[in-house]
Amino acid sequence: MELRPDGSLLVQTALSMSRLAQDEMSTDAADIARLVRLTLGGDSTAFEQIILRYETRVMTMAARLLGARDEACDATQEVFLRAFKYLHRLDAQKPVEPWLMGITVNVCRDAARRRQRRRDTFIEIEAPDTIDQSADPYAGMVLKQERLILQRALDGLPEKERLAIVLRDVEGLSTAEVAAILRSSETTVRSQVSRGRLRLKAAIDRLMGVER
Amino acid sequence: MSCAFSREMHALHAEGDLPDGAAELTSGHLRTCDECRRFFEELRARQSLLKLLRRETVSPSDCTRVRRQVMSIINRGEDRSGWALRIERAIVLGFRRRAHALAAFALLGIVSVSALAQMRHIAPTAKQAVAAFEGGDTLFRPEGYRDWILVGPSATAHRSGVSHGAAGTTGAAIPTVYIDPSGYREYAKTGRFPEGTVMVWESVSREPETADRAHKESPVLLASVKDSTRFDGGWGFFNFTGLEGSPTSKARALPGSNGCRTCHRRDAETDQVFTQFYPVLQSAHRAAQLAVPRGSASLTEVLPVSHASRRSGSPRVARA
Repeated sequence: MELRPDGSLLVQTALSMSRLAQDEMSTDAADIARLVRLTLGGDSTAFEQIILRYETRVMTMAARLLGARDEACDATQEVFLRAFKYLHRLDAQKPVEPWLMGITVNVCRDAARRRQRRRDTFIEIEAPDTIDQSADPYAGMVLKQERLILQRALDGLPEKERLAIVLRDVEGLSTAEVAAILRSSETTVRSQVSRGRLRLKAAIDRLMGVER
Repeated sequence: MSCAFSREMHALHAEGDLPDGAAELTSGHLRTCDECRRFFEELRARQSLLKLLRRETVSPSDCTRVRRQVMSIINRGEDRSGWALRIERAIVLGFRRRAHALAAFALLGIVSVSALAQMRHIAPTAKQAVAAFEGGDTLFRPEGYRDWILVGPSATAHRSGVSHGAAGTTGAAIPTVYIDPSGYREYAKTGRFPEGTVMVWESVSREPETADRAHKESPVLLASVKDSTRFDGGWGFFNFTGLEGSPTSKARALPGSNGCRTCHRRDAETDQVFTQFYPVLQSAHRAAQLAVPRGSASLTEVLPVSHASRRSGSPRVARA
């Protein structure tokens, strides 16, 4: 293959890669739609395939929202049971993931409120198991310490700000996607995100003993 | 921080969330303000720390365990759906297409509303059936009145000498007064007795038991019905007292010359009803008065004015 001086080969390659990615996405969406149809038709193994695709995403998000591994497991179970129960409400034209994220947020919000009602004065905050553990014991300890500080700072945020921060800054969703999941406006989400970031910085500074 | 530049703008700018114009403005300020630049850099450092969370993921064994639990619950068929959800699912799956399902929901909604409207339409008829008439002025004896709202015993009325027929002449009977539940509810709510209200006045005396005869009851049973279409002055009065000690099954309205109407018109406190003798009605009456909102119609417009209280401070004694 010869690279032309005007770079047209690069452009063609980029275009064909983009088309491949789009084809892959549409194939994936079609596959999910097929699994949803099969589930609604009574095939529970198809629903297991859906769980397999999204379980890590859902449980990770639940762990970030709740900060406790056991609660994240319980929340994930509830998310998929609710999804199975209300699967008929899913709009076949829309992707499954944002719908599942919305259910996850609602389930975690309920769990956090129940926890509040139980008046837990101390919640054991633990870092979820990580895959990329550092080989250096000291670095691993520092990482774990930072992780705990972060989780404490996040837990100290008001509920709406915490949700907006986790979805926008940790999950990396766009403001529009966050607004859709939280059933809010983009302006409101931006306001919650900006306030949340400032509060989070202040809380981390305080927990790290940084004098202002 | 002494600089007055918005910190919220910095917080949004740190992750590129500002629109172009605002981003340029913030960048321009950061180039000139050391204090804000330092704050901005710290903010970005904290945001980087936050992104550490992105590197973390959960244990695959936890995922597997949860998936097995979910599938176990689903396969055991522990469907916790209520009947409404089952109907909804059946409609959605039955029609497949969303537009058709929405149309079916709309149709179901219309049918439900119509059915409710029909039921509400039927309800007043049932309420009016409390007073069943034969012809223009013959009332059938109200059924089950002892299950109604008890507004007496009217001890005050008895002591004060209010007597209807044989009451008070045999034994030491204390009259008991009942009102039909729908009439009571409306009175408690508005302070008015609605059309169709039925009240029953009963006095049962017992003759002493003898060796050869058990107790014998001698009931006096009277009723009044509010029906402006049938009776002058709004109320009709009826006497079901039988000659042989058992009440009659029906009774004609007592004529206007009978003392009932005169006495009730003259001395009863509220709309020809002796509410002054019945604490239950008095408290309901007060509640209705308190419920009248400020700025609405005056109490004299809402509630019938007491004839007795207009003339004197104390309730008058009625005589039938």
